[in-house]
Amino acid sequence: MTTLLEARGLTADRPGDEGPVRVLDSVDLALESGTLTELVGPSGAGKTTLLLALARLLPDARGSLALDGVPAEEIDIPAWRMRVALLPQRPTMFAGTVAENLRVPWRLGVRSAESPPDDTALREALDRAGLSGVALERGATRLSVGQAARVALLRVLLTRPRVLLLDEPDASLDDASAEQVRRFTAEFVSGGGAAVRVSHARSDDAADRRVRLTGGRLEEVGRA
Amino acid sequence: MPEATAGVIAIGWWELALATVFVVVSGALSLAMGLGLGKDLVVATIRTYVQLFALGFVLRWVFENQTGPIVLALLLVMVLAAARVVLKRAPSAPRGLFGNAALAMALTGFTVTFAVTALIVRVPVWYQAQYVLPIGGMVIGNSMTGIALAIERLFADLDARSGEMLTLTALGATTWEAAHPSIKTALTAGLVPTINSMAAVGVVFIPGMMTGQILAGADPLEATKYQIVVMLMISAATAIGAIVAVLLMYRHRFTAEGVYLEQGLRGGAS
Repeated sequence: MTTLLEARGLTADRPGDEGPVRVLDSVDLALESGTLTELVGPSGAGKTTLLLALARLLPDARGSLALDGVPAEEIDIPAWRMRVALLPQRPTMFAGTVAENLRVPWRLGVRSAESPPDDTALREALDRAGLSGVALERGATRLSVGQAARVALLRVLLTRPRVLLLDEPDASLDDASAEQVRRFTAEFVSGGGAAVRVSHARSDDAADRRVRLTGGRLEEVGRA
Repeated sequence: MPEATAGVIAIGWWELALATVFVVVSGALSLAMGLGLGKDLVVATIRTYVQLFALGFVLRWVFENQTGPIVLALLLVMVLAAARVVLKRAPSAPRGLFGNAALAMALTGFTVTFAVTALIVRVPVWYQAQYVLPIGGMVIGNSMTGIALAIERLFADLDARSGEMLTLTALGATTWEAAHPSIKTALTAGLVPTINSMAAVGVVFIPGMMTGQILAGADPLEATKYQIVVMLMISAATAIGAIVAVLLMYRHRFTAEGVYLEQGLRGGAS
């Protein structure tokens, strides 16, 4: 196994009512290919903040990051975000059809050189996600929360990232939808990717490693 | 007795004082209906007298002593005052944007004003105050409203779309790509009132400038031509000003790394 993403000394403060509050305090984390890391911790512990920092989406985060051994400073930010994908906790559906939503990444300049997946590929992806009843032409804002969550995950997976950062992907899902998300994550990992998954309600038995964030510090609490 | 001078029936001092009776009517109605607007009416009436007479004296002095620098300085004062009003009317905007607001107002104010006076009205002297100042005032005053609307909508919409922008940014979107829907919404909000007003002019209301010219004895068709120029220049000024302001300002809510500073990340500073 090789280390895909490595963080060293990640430190971040957030504005609080009585001045800045330290949410990440010299956090070290190495994500290896083919592994799923479960990130747990109490509410407000900074789990989302850690994912944002790993995706280089957190202003004023300090410390060092490296991808495939290359320091973050040598990788421009759009290229980083193409390879390190964050799925925010609340799935966002844009105005338009399901197909248009799945192709949003290819509307961005960063992927202008790539061809977007065709309808056949999108149909196949939806079917595998248990969304065979969802037409590509359906308005995306008409999807249920569980359907939208899976479409949002598919949208990220179709971009073929190296590292997947999932922020409570099953927070508002029923058991069947949550199982689909777990299966997708497992497939991604078995394909050589590295995934971090924030868990609050459900735990994931498939996790290779479990880390806990408390008081800004990260500690390992289990390894398969 | 009012007297007619050069096509204008002059209003005497007593007649002007008589007009104040209209405010007494409003005050009486406010009192009778318990609206509590009496004090506001008195203050507003006094301000109307003081501000407009001050303006009248300033304009008379400028007309008698007009030079290029004096006219430009007066336009600049209008631009700076308008920039202040724009930001006051846009409470969602971050602090520290006065320079951007002034630049947008100046760009649209000076460009449109001098384009109209030089190319359409063809004033004999480029700084002729009788034309430059009223036209400049209309350009700046009217575009100010549209620019303020656009800026307020921009920052309110960016906040409302912060989750959507996080998704886009995480997918590799640039700040422009993430903010683009809000920029479109903001510009629409800024321009629609002017477009609506152009559609209603002459049918729902007789615009102020045309009314003033007709009262001053101008031929209604000549007044119409001026009014059309004014409406078109206001629409251009609002469009230019709103576009410049929005393009200059939207990045202020993003970090250099392209991350949107949603409310939780702003701390005490907004």
